Amino acid sequence: MAKSPDPERLEILQGTLDMLILRTLQWGPRHGHGIGQAIATHSDELLKVETGSLYPALHRLEKRGWLASEWGISEANHRAKFYRLTAAGKAQLAREQDRWSQFVHAIGRVMNPAKAGKD
Amino acid sequence: MRPDERDLDDEIRGHLAISIRERIDRGENPEAARLAALREFGYVPRLRDEMRRVWYSRGSDAMLDLASDVRYAVRALVKHRGFSLTVIGVLTLGIGLNAAVFTMVKGMLLSPLAGVANSGRLVVLYGETSTGRQLKLSYPDYRHLRDSNDAFVDLFGSSLVTINLGRGKDARQLSGEVVTGNYFQALGVRAQLGRTLLPSDEATPGQPVVVISDGLWRRDLGADPDIIGRTIDLNNVPLTVVGVTDPSFHGTIVSYDVEVFIPVTMTPQFRFNFERLNSRVAPAEILSDPYTYILSPHGYLRPGMSLAGAAAQVDTIWAARAGERVAEESPQQLRLSRFWNAPTGGQGFMLPTLMVLSAMGLLVLMLACANIAGLVLVRGLSRRGEIAVRLALGATRARIVRLLVIENLVLAAPGAVIGLLLAWRSIPLLVGYAEQMAAPQRIYFNIDLSSLDLTFTAVVACVCALVFGLVPALQSSRISLVSAINEDASPRGAARNRLRTGLVVAQVAVSLLLLVGSGLATRSVEAARRADPGFDGDRVAAIHFDLKQNGYDEARGRAFYEQLLAAARLDPALEAVSLAQYTPLALIDSRMQRVAVEGYAPRSGEDLSFMSNTVAPDYFRTLRIPLLAGRSFDDRDDEAGGRVVVVNHTLAERFWGSADAAVGQRIQITGSDWSTVIGVVADLKYSRINEGPRPYFYQPLTQHYRSAMILHARGTEAVDVVVERARRHVLAVDPQLPILGAKPFVQDTAGAFIFYDLTAFMLFIFGAAGMLLAALGTYGLVSYTVRQSTQEIGIRMALGAGRFSVVRGFLARGLRLGALGAVLGVAAAFLLGGLLRHVLFGVSATDPVSFTQALALVFGVVTAASIVPAWRASRTSPLNALRHL
Repeated sequence: MAKSPDPERLEILQGTLDMLILRTLQWGPRHGHGIGQAIATHSDELLKVETGSLYPALHRLEKRGWLASEWGISEANHRAKFYRLTAAGKAQLAREQDRWSQFVHAIGRVMNPAKAGKD
Repeated sequence: MRPDERDLDDEIRGHLAISIRERIDRGENPEAARLAALREFGYVPRLRDEMRRVWYSRGSDAMLDLASDVRYAVRALVKHRGFSLTVIGVLTLGIGLNAAVFTMVKGMLLSPLAGVANSGRLVVLYGETSTGRQLKLSYPDYRHLRDSNDAFVDLFGSSLVTINLGRGKDARQLSGEVVTGNYFQALGVRAQLGRTLLPSDEATPGQPVVVISDGLWRRDLGADPDIIGRTIDLNNVPLTVVGVTDPSFHGTIVSYDVEVFIPVTMTPQFRFNFERLNSRVAPAEILSDPYTYILSPHGYLRPGMSLAGAAAQVDTIWAARAGERVAEESPQQLRLSRFWNAPTGGQGFMLPTLMVLSAMGLLVLMLACANIAGLVLVRGLSRRGEIAVRLALGATRARIVRLLVIENLVLAAPGAVIGLLLAWRSIPLLVGYAEQMAAPQRIYFNIDLSSLDLTFTAVVACVCALVFGLVPALQSSRISLVSAINEDASPRGAARNRLRTGLVVAQVAVSLLLLVGSGLATRSVEAARRADPGFDGDRVAAIHFDLKQNGYDEARGRAFYEQLLAAARLDPALEAVSLAQYTPLALIDSRMQRVAVEGYAPRSGEDLSFMSNTVAPDYFRTLRIPLLAGRSFDDRDDEAGGRVVVVNHTLAERFWGSADAAVGQRIQITGSDWSTVIGVVADLKYSRINEGPRPYFYQPLTQHYRSAMILHARGTEAVDVVVERARRHVLAVDPQLPILGAKPFVQDTAGAFIFYDLTAFMLFIFGAAGMLLAALGTYGLVSYTVRQSTQEIGIRMALGAGRFSVVRGFLARGLRLGALGAVLGVAAAFLLGGLLRHVLFGVSATDPVSFTQALALVFGVVTAASIVPAWRASRTSPLNALRHL
């Protein structure tokens, strides 16, 4: 039943979706569809978020207080739920960005020990 | 803020709208855009579920799923009403029977005594002679033990006695306990009025006080609120009522309803007939004689004390004391046992019965489960389509198995509830049945439904649901999508066939086991009823009285007996009359007496204590007990004449080789002179219908005066007329004498049959339930197998096979399975037969008749189940059968 994945497309790393959502919302409130689009656009269409993961993630973040939501009218004149970053969400984004940098760094050292050794 | 369902839907709808709009803007046609957007979105309900799940904690999330599964299950089961009702019916039967048995077993093991907390932990002490005979303890022994042990919190003693309440015509017999002063305190039983007995009542000998049961207070004393301080007459002794026990308390003798509690130190005033070896102990010596065994000591172990530890301590205490006395007549060893498996009291005969019933209950339940597993399996086939769709929509196998299991639990729940109700309603019925059979003696069973039974039933129901549901559920979930899409609904999986075959074989085996069990039980009851007890009690009246109750001394008593017998003998309507102290088949070993045989040197440790009876002339003629040699008692055997005795056949053979050789020999009963054997009579069943031959002897009333006797009168008319006639003869001699019982003789011996009747009755119910289940289940499965082969039948017939050969083929297949099950069942019945040994009478556990009956029934069912559907299938036209190929 599952479609064969686009060979060009990258799987979103587990645990990074939350960070991507938070980051996307730094540019201002968006509805779910817009967030998905934004992630795709900003990643040069390399990352594609499945709706099946996006919406549960949005609700999860809202529940934890990192996002707030309100109903509004979309550009296409549809009722849509807009999410925005809360103060706590901003702090969380900062934390996740730090962790991500550390993570990238660490992975880099493992994958490229010669270069890392000179660090 | 937690979004509600509408919010979730709106959000999804919004997303789709935007997505569709974008696609249309890009130039796609609206319909294609809509489909693409939907495809991209995925399975909406699942997404909504997941979003919702975010907002609910893990637990309530599972609850949510559970609730929807349960809802779905209920809907599905309501839709398939026939299936559901069948399963509920089958389960009700299985669970109900088990709940009933469990309630009884629990009552026996955990709380054998009503109104006593923790009575399951009570420990009983009893003595054993060097020959292994079990004895109670004498009062001095009890006191010694009580005062020198520290294994028990408090050691109390009690003994069951039969007492007459009231005087004159209104007197009646009831069960009482003589108890030590610490009895109520040790048991933790309170008085609802007044006080219980106290150690001070024991310390002061001859305190004329009594505590009565709630039942006695309400039934006989009109629940008189001022009862405390009043006196009641027990065995003609006025006793002051000091208390009424808690309504829940019925004494400590299993299956007896004890109505009065008397301090043990009052026993000298009462002249109870205690089991003892000395033939005569002066009443004043009852409490000091070390050979008068009147008390059964009970107690709770101290915290931290084990049964073995207590036994070791008691052994040490006893070692010094036992050696001083005659080894065959006194307790040489003290034994400890938990109350529920003590060899004394009602436990002894209840326990084997309950074990058999438990085993039968389990079999019925197994059968029920196998039955339902078959039904669920068959139903699983018709649901293959549904399950395939669920799998295709992305449901996981675990989820489907869970749904099916929940469905089975939902299915099991009503069965459990109705089963429990059934047990709850049927237990009083059963107990009532037992009480009715035991009438006029009052009996009492501590059986009530508690939360423990509810738990047990719930657990049984769940286990059942898992057992009957899980295997078929796993099978159903293992559907390949390909075959489901091809709509191939025919059950060709080898595993499925194996399971079904296994179920048929198991059902045949288990039902055979049940049928054999109930067949054996039914036949043993028939045997017990047909068994020759050695006497003929038809048309014999038994009138009980005790001359002491009207103040007779021995001289006046002798005159009374002479006058009574003389008058009754003149009555033309009475064929024969006599007097005896005991009736046979009374379930107790009446009066064991130790004897010495002239010229016989007993082997060391040989037990020469035998049961005996005291009778008037004509006793053997009255009960039609054959005289084998010599003569019966007559008027020659008076006080002046030499002491004489009549022995039974077993005793004569044991010591002298034959009946004829016994006449003229002499035996000495401990405490009296040598007696000459004047006659030998045939054996009877003396206390139980299933006892083996045992030595027994009779002493003449004229040489051994007793005040409590039973007039036996054989008449020519209906027994009720005879009873009335006999009663009038007694009252004609003394109109003031209390008649303690006037009833047909066979009523006195009916007690010996109660437990056979009860056990057989229950085994019959279990057998009937098992047979019903087995017939239904076997028929259902076998006929289903045949129905599944409709196509095969079609092909065969299309190829020219005759109807008979088709049917024959299926019959052979069915019989093969039946034979396999039967072999297993018979083997199991042989192995488990030993369990039944204790409750069987007159049939062996391998009784061929019972086995044949069971086999015939089982094969009858299998044959019918194979032939009927095959015949029906063979009548459908081959074309019709082949159409779905």
